[in-house]
Amino acid sequence: MSDASSSSLRKPGVAPASTWSLLRRFWSFARPHRRWIWFGVAMIPLVAGLSTLRPLLLKAAIDTEIPEGDAIGLRVLGIVFLVAVVAEFLCSAVQVYALQRGGHATISDTRRTVFAHVLRLPARFYDNNAIGSLLSRTTSDIEALSETLAFGVFTILTDVVMIGSIVVAMFVLDAQLTLITITVAPVLYVLVRYFGAALRRLQLEVRKAQAAQTGFLAEQLTGVTVVQLFGREQAALKEYARLGERNLDATKRANLLDALLFSLMDGISAFTIALMIYFAAPSVTSGGAITLGLLFAFVDYLQRVFGPIKEFSGKLATIQRASASLERIYGLLDEPAEGGGATADALAHWRGAIRVRDLRFRYKSDGPDVLRGISFDVAPGEVIAVVGRTGSGKSSLGRVLTRFYDGYRGSVALVTPDGDVELSDMAPAELRRRVLMVQQDVFLFDDDVAYNVSLGDPELAGDRHRLERALEVVQADHVIALRGGLGFAVGERGANLSSGEAQLIAFARVAAREPTLLILDEATASVDSVTEQKVQRAIETLLAGRSVIVIAHRLSTIRRADRILVLRQGEIVEMGTHDDLMAKGGAYAEMVAAGLDEGEIADADASPDSDVGADVGAAGVAP
Amino acid sequence: MTGTFRFLAGYARRNLVQYVLGFAALLATNYAVVRIPALLGDALNLLEGRSALLEGRGAAVLAQARGIAVELMFLAVVVIAVRTLSRVLFFNPGREIEYRLGIDLFERLLGLQRPYFNRHKVGELISVASNDTTSVRLLVGFVGLQVINVAVAIPMHLWQMATTDVALTVWCLVPVAFGAAYMRWTVKRFFTMVRDGMQQLARLSDRVLESYSGVGTIRSHAAEAATLRRFDERNGEYLALQLRISAIRSFGMPVLGFSGLVGAGAVLWAGGNRVIAGELGVGDLATFTALLVSLVSTLTSLAWVVGRGMVATSRVAELLHTPDELPPVQRPLSIDGPPRLEIRGLSFTYEGTTRPAVDGIDASVAPGKTLGIFGKTGSGKTTLVNLLTRVYTPPPGTVFVDGVDVVEASLADLRAGMAVVPQAPFLFSTRLRDNITLADANPRARGKAKPKAEREAPEPDPRLDAVLAAACLQDDIAQLPQGLDTVVGERGVMLSGGQRQRAALARALYRHRPLLVLDDVLAAVDHNTEAKLVAAIRALRSGEGGSAPTTIIVSHRTSVLEHADEILVLDHGRLVERGTHAALLRQRGLYAETHAHQEGQGMDDA
Repeated sequence: MSDASSSSLRKPGVAPASTWSLLRRFWSFARPHRRWIWFGVAMIPLVAGLSTLRPLLLKAAIDTEIPEGDAIGLRVLGIVFLVAVVAEFLCSAVQVYALQRGGHATISDTRRTVFAHVLRLPARFYDNNAIGSLLSRTTSDIEALSETLAFGVFTILTDVVMIGSIVVAMFVLDAQLTLITITVAPVLYVLVRYFGAALRRLQLEVRKAQAAQTGFLAEQLTGVTVVQLFGREQAALKEYARLGERNLDATKRANLLDALLFSLMDGISAFTIALMIYFAAPSVTSGGAITLGLLFAFVDYLQRVFGPIKEFSGKLATIQRASASLERIYGLLDEPAEGGGATADALAHWRGAIRVRDLRFRYKSDGPDVLRGISFDVAPGEVIAVVGRTGSGKSSLGRVLTRFYDGYRGSVALVTPDGDVELSDMAPAELRRRVLMVQQDVFLFDDDVAYNVSLGDPELAGDRHRLERALEVVQADHVIALRGGLGFAVGERGANLSSGEAQLIAFARVAAREPTLLILDEATASVDSVTEQKVQRAIETLLAGRSVIVIAHRLSTIRRADRILVLRQGEIVEMGTHDDLMAKGGAYAEMVAAGLDEGEIADADASPDSDVGADVGAAGVAP
Repeated sequence: MTGTFRFLAGYARRNLVQYVLGFAALLATNYAVVRIPALLGDALNLLEGRSALLEGRGAAVLAQARGIAVELMFLAVVVIAVRTLSRVLFFNPGREIEYRLGIDLFERLLGLQRPYFNRHKVGELISVASNDTTSVRLLVGFVGLQVINVAVAIPMHLWQMATTDVALTVWCLVPVAFGAAYMRWTVKRFFTMVRDGMQQLARLSDRVLESYSGVGTIRSHAAEAATLRRFDERNGEYLALQLRISAIRSFGMPVLGFSGLVGAGAVLWAGGNRVIAGELGVGDLATFTALLVSLVSTLTSLAWVVGRGMVATSRVAELLHTPDELPPVQRPLSIDGPPRLEIRGLSFTYEGTTRPAVDGIDASVAPGKTLGIFGKTGSGKTTLVNLLTRVYTPPPGTVFVDGVDVVEASLADLRAGMAVVPQAPFLFSTRLRDNITLADANPRARGKAKPKAEREAPEPDPRLDAVLAAACLQDDIAQLPQGLDTVVGERGVMLSGGQRQRAALARALYRHRPLLVLDDVLAAVDHNTEAKLVAAIRALRSGEGGSAPTTIIVSHRTSVLEHADEILVLDHGRLVERGTHAALLRQRGLYAETHAHQEGQGMDDA
C-alpha cells in the first residue's frame, strides 16, 4: 500500500472519531441481527448470577450441613450445586453462541456493504488507491472487527457484569473483609494500565514486523523465477532474516511483559487470599462474624476475579484495533459513489446519435486538459474511427462517453426523437446498458465461458441459446466448442484461453448485449494469425448495424469506418474518410506512413494507472 | 509423533541451556503452585479446629494461622518471579526456533523449482511459512512448557491431591478425565475448521480481488448485481463456517471447565460426607477445589496448543524436506565468454499432460550468434526457453552449453552466465532503479532501509544510463513521480505492460552476461519502440563495449527476428521450418505467411 492511498482515504483536517461514535455507527449494521445480540446480552446477568451462586452453596455446606452432620442436607446441596453448574454451562454456551452468531452475521453484512460500495466508486478513486489496499479494507480490516465482536466487546461486558456481581456478593457477605481484599485494586489498576499499554504498543510493533515479513515473502515467492534466474537467492534470504530479526526482537520484548503480567496476576491472586486469611483469622478464631464457610466463598470468588482482569487489557486492545479498522472502513464507505442521474428510460428511443460540442476534460482538477474543445456528431449507425498517437486523448474520449470519469465541460447530447439528453444527466448504470465500452485488455473471470459472456446478466445467464448465438455472431463458436463449450472453465484471469480467444469472448459479450452505441478500444497486442483473422472478422461484424466509436489501431478497421477523427493533444486536427485524408497528405497520412500500431502504453497524460480494470500483478507462474 | 519430536529436538538443541534453566524455574513454580492450596487448606483446617482450641490455645492457633498466611504471601511473591522466569526461558527459544524455521523454509522454497510452484499456490506456501511456523512456535514454546507441565505439574497436582485424600482424588478426577478426552477431540475438530475457514477466506479474497481488478469490465457491462451475487456465494459460505466454529466454541470448548465444576460438586458432596465422618479436615476441601481449578487450566491450555501444533509441525517438516528434484551436480561450468549452445533431440512433456510441449528439437548456436525462435501462442517457444534456462529441467543429453550437459552443471554456475527476460515481466515493490540493477545489490535492503530524506543522491552510473536508453525507458522515467527512485510493483506505481517489459529488458541488459535470453519481450510495445529496441539489441550484438553475447530471442513477430542468424519455426512443439529470415521468406511456409500478414497490418499496404 502506498502512502498516497492511505492518506487519500483519510480526510484531512478531520479529527479521528471517538471509539464510541465509531461503534455507534456500527450498530446500523448490527440492527438486523439485534435479536441474537439482545438475547445474548440478556443472558449475561443470568450467567453471572449463577456463577456467583455456587460459592454461596459451598458456604452453606461448610457452615451448616457439615458441622451439623446433616448428610441429607448435604446431598440436597450437592444436587443443587450440580444443577447450578449444568444451568450455568448451558446458559453461558447459549449466551456466547447468540452473541457470536449476531456478531458474525453483522460482519458478513458489513463486508458485503463495503464490497458493494467499492464496486460503485468512481474510476478516479481507483486511480488513487491501490487495489491491494481496497482488498485489505474488505478482508483484513473486517476480520479485525470479527475478532473484536467475537472476543472483545461482549466478553468484556460479560466480565464486567461477572466481576460486579462477585464484588456485590462479597460486600453483602462481609463488607470489611471485602474492603481488605480491595486494597489490591489500585495495584491492579496500575499494572493493567501501564503494563497493558506497553504490551499493546509492543504487540502492534510485532504485527507490523510480521506484516512486513509476510509481504516480502509473498512477493519473493511470486517472483521466485526472477530471483532464481538472477541468482538473488542469498540476498533475498538475508533480507528475510533481517526482517525476521526485527520481528523476533519485538516479540521477545513483548514476551517478557506478557509473562510478567501473567505471573503478577497469578501471584496477586494468591497474595490477596493470604492477606484475607491473615486479617480474618482473629474473627474466625474468636467466633466473630466471619465464618469458615465465608472464607471458602471468598477464596472461590477471589480465584475467579483475577482471570478476567488479566485479559482485560488484551480485550481492550482488540477494541482499539477494531476502531482503527472501523475508521478505515468508514473512510471508504464515505467516499462518494459514482454520480447519479436519470434512471427512467429516457433513452428508450435513442438510436445512437450523439452530438459533442466543445468537450473539455481533465483527470485531475489541477492537471492539464486532455481533451481540449472537441466537437463532432455521430449519426445513427455511423462508424467513427478515432486515431492518434499515445497521449492524444483518444482513450479518454471513451472514458468520458461512458461516464467512467465525470466532470467534463462542454456538452455531450444523446439525440433522441423525444429530445436531447445530456450525458451527465443519465445514471451511469442506465447509460451503460446502451453504451458499451470494450477495453483493450480483456478481463476474464475465473468461471465458465457462459458466465464470461453473460457476466451474470439475468436475461442472458439463463438463456443458453442467446449465449450460443452471440458466440456464433463473432465466430467464436467453433473455438469454444473445441474447448468444451459454454461450460469450459476459463481459469484465473482466463489463463486457459489464448489472448485471441479472450478477445473473441469480449466481442461475444457485445454481440449478446447489442448496445446502441459501441465504443471499442481495439487491442494492439497481436495474436497468432489464424485467430487474428477471426478477430478482424468479428470486429467487422460488430461494426455493422449500430453506432460505433472505435479507437482504432488496425488499418483494416479504420478503412471500414465512415469517418476518421484524428486527435492530437486533445484536439481534432483532421476529420474525414480514409481516402480524403490520404489525399490531403496531413497528419493522418503521416501516421499511416509511419505505421499505425500503437502500443498499449497508457495515455501518458493520464494519471498513472487510469486503465480501470487493467490487469494488475500479471506475473504468473503458469507454464 | 516421534518423528515430530525428533524434528523439533533438532531445532531446540541450540537452546539447551535456556531450557535447563527454564526447567528449574518451572519446577520451582509448580512446587509453589501446589503448595499454595495445601497451605490454604492447612490454614482453614487450623481455623476450623477453633472450638476445641478456644479454651486457652486460641492465641497460639491464631499465631500459627497467621504464620501460614505470611508463608502464603511469600510464596505468592516467589510465584511471580519464578513463573515469569519460566515463561521467558521457555517462550523465547520458541520464538528463536520460529525465526530459524522461517529462514530455513524460505531457503528451501528458494531452492525449489518451477514444477513445484506449479503444484503449490503461493498463498498456500505463505500460510505454511507464516501461520504454521507460528503454530510450531506455540508448540515448542507453549508446548515445551506444557509437555513439562504434563511431566511435572500434573503429577505434582495429583500427588498433592492424593496425599490429602485418595478416594476424593478419584471422585473428582473421573469427570475431569472425561472432559479432557472430549477437549482433545474437539480441539482437533476446531482447528480443522479454523483451517478451512482460512482457506475460505482466501477464496473470498480471491473473488474480491478479481472483482476489483475487473471493475472496468463489470462497470462497462453493468454487471454489478451479478458480481455481488458471486460475492454473496463466497461470503455466505464463509459465514456458515464461522457459525459452525462459533457453535463449537460456545458449546464444545467450555466442556473441560464444566467437568472441573462437576468435580468441584463431587468434592463438595463426597468430601463433605467424609468430613462429617471425621476422615477429612474441612480445609482439605478448599485444597482440593483449588488444585482442581489449577489442574483444569493446565489441561485446557495443553489441549489447545498440542492440537494446533502437531498438525502444523508435520506440514512444516514436509515442506522443509521437499526434494528440489534437481539432478546431482557432476561438473563445474564457467561461462566466461559468449558460449556455444547446442540442443540435441530435445523433447519435453509437462507433468500431467501426454502431448509433448516440444518434440525433437535440434539446433546449434555459435558463440556470439543469435538464435530466433518463432511460433504462435502454444507452439512451445516458452517451453524451449524455459528448458534452456533450466526453469524446467531438460532430459539429460539434450542441452549443452560449451559442450557441458546443463543438467550436469549446478544451477548457480549456469545462471551466473546468463541474463534472462521472462515472458511475464516481474517487478519487485522497490525503486525502479533497484529493480533494474537487481543483479548488483539487494533491492529491498537498499530501497527500504534508508528513509527518503537520508537517501544521498545516487552515484552516477553510466552503465545504468546506457541501459535505460537502450530500453527506451527514459521518457517513461521522466514521467514517474520520483523518476528512477519511484517505487514500482504491486505496492507502488503500476506500470503498463510495455513499461514492465522494457524495465525487465533493461534489467537483463544491465546484468550484462555472455548469454542473453529474451522471451517475447517486445509483445506489448508499439512498432516504433520495437524498432528502437531491436536496434539496441543488435547494437549489443555487434559488440559495442565488449564481445557480443550469444543471444536467444523469442517472438511471434517476424520483425523482431529479422536479424537473427538462424530462426527456428515451431508449431505444436515441432520444428517445422528453419533458416535465416530471407531463407524462410523464400520457403513460403508458415513464417513467410505470417510475415506477409503482419506486414500487411502495418504500413506497407497503405
